[in-house]
Amino acid sequence: MAHKWGMAIDQDRCTGCGACVTACHAENNIPTVGASQAARGRAMHWIRVERYWEGEFPDVKLKFRPVMCQQCDAAPCEPVCPTYASHHTAEGLNAQVYNRCIGTRYCANACPYNVRFFDFFNPEWPRPLDAQLNPDVSIREVGVMEKCTFCVQRITAGEIQAEAEKRGVKDGEIQPACAQSCSARAIVFGDLNDPESAVSRLARQERGTKLLEELGTLPKITYLAKQTQA
Amino acid sequence: MRWVVMAVALLAAACGSQGQVSDDVFTPAHRTIAAAARDYFNVRPAAQQPIPFPHKTHLAKGAECTDCHETVEKGPIAGIPSVKTCMVCHSQIATTKPLIKEVTAYSDKGIDIPWQRVYGFSQEAHVRFNHAPHIRAKVECATCHGDLKQMTVAERAVDHTMGFCVNCHRQKNAPNDCLTCHY
Amino acid sequence: MDRRDFIKLTAVTGTSAALASCGNPEHQLIRFVPDEDITPGIAEWKPSVCPICSAGCGVNVRVMDADVRTVRSGQAGVVRMNVAKKLEGLPTDPISRGGLCARGQAAIQITYHPDRLAQPMKRDGARGSGSFKPISWDEAIAELVSKLDALDDRKALAIVTRPHRGNRDALFAAFAQRVGAPAPIAYELFSDDVLRHANAASYGKAQLPTYDLAKARYVVSFGADFLGTWGSVVAQNAAFGDMRQARPGVRGKLVQVESRMTTTGASADEWVPVKPGTEGVLALALAGKHDIADAEKITGVPAKKIERIAKELADQKPAVAIVGGPALAHTNALFTATAVNELNKALGGELLGFASHNAQLSTLSAQPFAALADAKLLLVDEANPVYGAPKAWKVREALEKIPYIASFSRFVDDTTAYADLILPDHSFLESWTDAAPESGSLDAKPISAGPVMKPIHDTRATADVLIAVAGKLKTPVELPWKNGEELAKSSQPSTVDRRQANPAPPSAGRQPTEWTDPHFDGAASDYPMHFLPYASPAFGDGSTAHLPWLQELPDPLTSAMWSSWIEINPKTAEQMGIADGDLVDVTSSQGTLRVPAVVFPGIAPDIVAMPVGQGHEHYTRYASKRGANAASLLAPVTEPETGTLAWAATRVKIARAGDADGSLILFAGEKYEKPHDHETR
Repeated sequence: MAHKWGMAIDQDRCTGCGACVTACHAENNIPTVGASQAARGRAMHWIRVERYWEGEFPDVKLKFRPVMCQQCDAAPCEPVCPTYASHHTAEGLNAQVYNRCIGTRYCANACPYNVRFFDFFNPEWPRPLDAQLNPDVSIREVGVMEKCTFCVQRITAGEIQAEAEKRGVKDGEIQPACAQSCSARAIVFGDLNDPESAVSRLARQERGTKLLEELGTLPKITYLAKQTQA
Repeated sequence: MRWVVMAVALLAAACGSQGQVSDDVFTPAHRTIAAAARDYFNVRPAAQQPIPFPHKTHLAKGAECTDCHETVEKGPIAGIPSVKTCMVCHSQIATTKPLIKEVTAYSDKGIDIPWQRVYGFSQEAHVRFNHAPHIRAKVECATCHGDLKQMTVAERAVDHTMGFCVNCHRQKNAPNDCLTCHY
Repeated sequence: MDRRDFIKLTAVTGTSAALASCGNPEHQLIRFVPDEDITPGIAEWKPSVCPICSAGCGVNVRVMDADVRTVRSGQAGVVRMNVAKKLEGLPTDPISRGGLCARGQAAIQITYHPDRLAQPMKRDGARGSGSFKPISWDEAIAELVSKLDALDDRKALAIVTRPHRGNRDALFAAFAQRVGAPAPIAYELFSDDVLRHANAASYGKAQLPTYDLAKARYVVSFGADFLGTWGSVVAQNAAFGDMRQARPGVRGKLVQVESRMTTTGASADEWVPVKPGTEGVLALALAGKHDIADAEKITGVPAKKIERIAKELADQKPAVAIVGGPALAHTNALFTATAVNELNKALGGELLGFASHNAQLSTLSAQPFAALADAKLLLVDEANPVYGAPKAWKVREALEKIPYIASFSRFVDDTTAYADLILPDHSFLESWTDAAPESGSLDAKPISAGPVMKPIHDTRATADVLIAVAGKLKTPVELPWKNGEELAKSSQPSTVDRRQANPAPPSAGRQPTEWTDPHFDGAASDYPMHFLPYASPAFGDGSTAHLPWLQELPDPLTSAMWSSWIEINPKTAEQMGIADGDLVDVTSSQGTLRVPAVVFPGIAPDIVAMPVGQGHEHYTRYASKRGANAASLLAPVTEPETGTLAWAATRVKIARAGDADGSLILFAGEKYEKPHDHETR
């Protein structure tokens, strides 16, 4: 059966450290835009850790929520793309095909999660920072949209490796950079079509909800709510 | 009439200020109009090789593609071998021939022969081609690279358009999803 | 003319002229023959050790081929090298267990930093200006040797380093000892030495504890941001994740007691704000050793809450208390640490253990840099006291007077800008490296690893340089290791015990758990607010501010990037007419900083907090002259017995200085979640 890639993010484990954000930059050749562009809202954090305060001092609480592309099964970014650059794959990923993209930015406009980013400039990596670039990931040029791909390069590499060894992909073998780096193991990635996979088990938990579920986007990331202590 | 005006303007821009079109606000994908035009029309100059490497001669002597393009079975890239690979044989073989002397000269200076790529894709095509699964699927090198047994210097015998790849993928029931190659 | 003809026209005339040139600038560079075997596109994974903090996480490095610019025999060109591409935690390492923190992920940028020193440098301008010119290694080593030989009195050789760097500490300690110089001054702003002293008294171990959080049912942390910036963060995060969700039906509770919300406080089930410096009284009250009503008066924590938590601690076993961070940055820190140890004793203490480790106890004097006044030659290694030491210690002034300063730094930072000679070290990925984890796992062992890639610049391993220099002196000095590899692989006996140098004064006959109230710098009437500088999740004590990924990483609690800021309670901010981004003058007895404000719900009305890390005068293009240095406001208040800096003991006053000027850059939109916001769009 084809894979259906999904994630579970446990907000009871997440401590907001931001390792996932930096790991994503390292893995996916995300350009550092610099202070003045960041001030214009152009920083490209494919994954971000949202933080929301609740209450007032001294009874104040704070909640962390890592958010990246939800790879929605009914993604609002897909029907609005005039060039089929944003479309859904058989494995459940929302594909962003850079060479088709003409930069209309309708997809970012339609996305309710604000997880799509536009390349306003050609990326620059002052030498020798360019030696660190991941050769398995495209360098996006100006004028295209980019977003979290669930580290599709790792998925592809894992599937090709499994095929070469004439076996199926093992659960936990493919880890996007964010899940791999998380020291609290808050991010779990896997095949939702495998009912015994870790992500499927977590997705079935009562604590699980989906972000902006009421919009009908069918996101594939289950957020496990922070539990309260009895 | 307006088409002629536009054509002239385009020409003027291309030839005039070296076609640079970048400033702080507007940064295009290509640095020059000429580069953009080349990409659009899929025009690539033929490779100019510093030394006319004869594939024909080496293959006739029983060399296999993978003797020099070693990593093609293990990973994404076949690679163009370093002059170190040449010297494995040519430190002993045919050392008096003038072309071999040129090769040896590079090696002695520690400079790698500046081969130019024959096959490849423009960066903006975002093609991530992986050799290893193709080799495992028993695709012959010649299928995509032409019959090197007939060539001296490698020529672009096969045009790697997307159609070329997709046709074969369709025939062999290989994945055809965009994300298979473009990510 | 129709469209088809137009296209034909441009194709023939407009572009053919330009096609003649190849156009790719890379093809014009000389390509050198690789020095190693290259397997293009195929990754190899090699182990290394992360040097960013003292946790000593084992790292797995993805190594692949890449083009690196280089110069050979005066010719510029490019060479294919196997280089590090990505850092990940080493799955088999007991400390990292496969995970890595944000700073560890960003550490790879040290190697590839565009402003990294590529070869030795000699001062080429006024002292402290930061202008240098390149020189060769032969010249640099010869110069350092001649300067060392020219010293009449070896006691005038000073060395400034930072502590807890595995065998690198032993290298400099041995060099100092065998050359006849005083022991190195090992300084760090956020020192845990008070806790080590307290643990020596309570447990016989001058060491940070390892907490078995995965088995805990209840954890109370006093000031320790153990999930964010304190202690062995990666290991503690892993254990915390397990404490929460790895045991079916069992979930550990975390109570965080602190004056300013940290990421640990955010992860807690209950956040208990306390008056600064009073954490110890709360600990004693929870242990049943201090009257609860009195504790309420001192700490500001309601008596009912203290009673409830005390009860929960007794019921939910096993439980453990952690202490660190600002709680131990007061003049009564030894009392606080001892009080928490008492609480742990009352709780049973089975979750608190000590990794096998050669602990080093340092009793620094209250003015660790006093010796610099007499120094004639200074060596600086991985330390930046011009930045991180209180101004009143006059480190900068001392450096201006020292006749000769040599640094092994990889970058020009605030301190190395005062050097006369720089002998840049390799980055850790290019070098033999080691760590001796002090805490994080009871299975922790010293680890060492070799370089994962060849150096990309003309740098040299400091161990090799120091060993060579020592051997070239007029009276050659032999160090116990032949080279950096031997040093990294060696296991050290207990490192220099600095108690010999500065014996601790006898305690004044006070019971260790007798409430000692904290003292602050600045009268409350003149300086009404407490100032809380804190270790930044992105920059730590400022040492990683030069890494662009970390500058752009949104701060977990404020989402700020590329900025400095002061956190102010919402009511205080409203009273003073201060909104997000407005400029505020923050004044202590040491000076004033002007920084933008962030309205911050997780702090008391009479406390302001500021992250440490920005405000470097010199620290590469990404951090130089950016923001403000919180450490520069710190008064030289110290804990009396250990002499460690009480960095939470400075009081300040604040004043609105102007409207927002754009220097505060936030990534996020809202502070409070409004779930139905999208419906109003």
